[in-house]
Amino acid sequence: MDNPAQALEEARRAGIDLDLLDANLALSVKERWQQHDAVLELALKLEQAGQTRDAKLRPTASKAD
Amino acid sequence: MLNFGQLLQRLTDAGLEFVLVGGFAAVSHGSFNVTRDVDICAVLTEENVAKLRQALKDWNPTHRMTPQKLSFLLYPPAGESVNNLCLQTDKGMVNILTSIKGVGDFQRLNAAAEEILVDGQKIRVIALNDLIKAKEAMGRERDLMTAKELRAIAAKREAAKK
Repeated sequence: MDNPAQALEEARRAGIDLDLLDANLALSVKERWQQHDAVLELALKLEQAGQTRDAKLRPTASKAD
Repeated sequence: MLNFGQLLQRLTDAGLEFVLVGGFAAVSHGSFNVTRDVDICAVLTEENVAKLRQALKDWNPTHRMTPQKLSFLLYPPAGESVNNLCLQTDKGMVNILTSIKGVGDFQRLNAAAEEILVDGQKIRVIALNDLIKAKEAMGRERDLMTAKELRAIAAKREAAKK
């Protein structure tokens, strides 16, 4: 499809870590899925924590309002 | 708890013919992509909708794009045709699409799909070159970045063959 050397160079220029890509390609599909789900779980927990923090920072209506 | 692999295995167990597409297909091919949903391409016949219901019934499937979060177990009613489905389940979000921009419908995707074996189950995944076309056709910044990563994976596959 592509010139392989050109594809790798474009990926490198775009900031893709090709060594990490090699490490990922060495995993089985099941391991890639498990790794993905663990990262997503963590991202969702962090997102939830951020929302909880932001909710606490929101000003509440005073009794006089 | 989120488990996309379990979700896919349940769909396979139910006898649904589908091709894994989208971000999780990119992950299967080796991408670092992190996605919040699983996209599959299938033909949404009444029989296939029934198989989907059977597969997902224990995981509270709802139509996530409806404000009332309608239950997928009740809607659409039998006999009503459906084009695409965007579902929320206890195991994660799953989108069932009937065609993929830049590539085509289920038959087209399935003809070129790659078969992967996970825990003894065969899962059909959109061919790497088709996924690159689909990501480029989407044209969003993150899709174009994934396409670059997938092109690098294709290059590494080529190099490994030699």
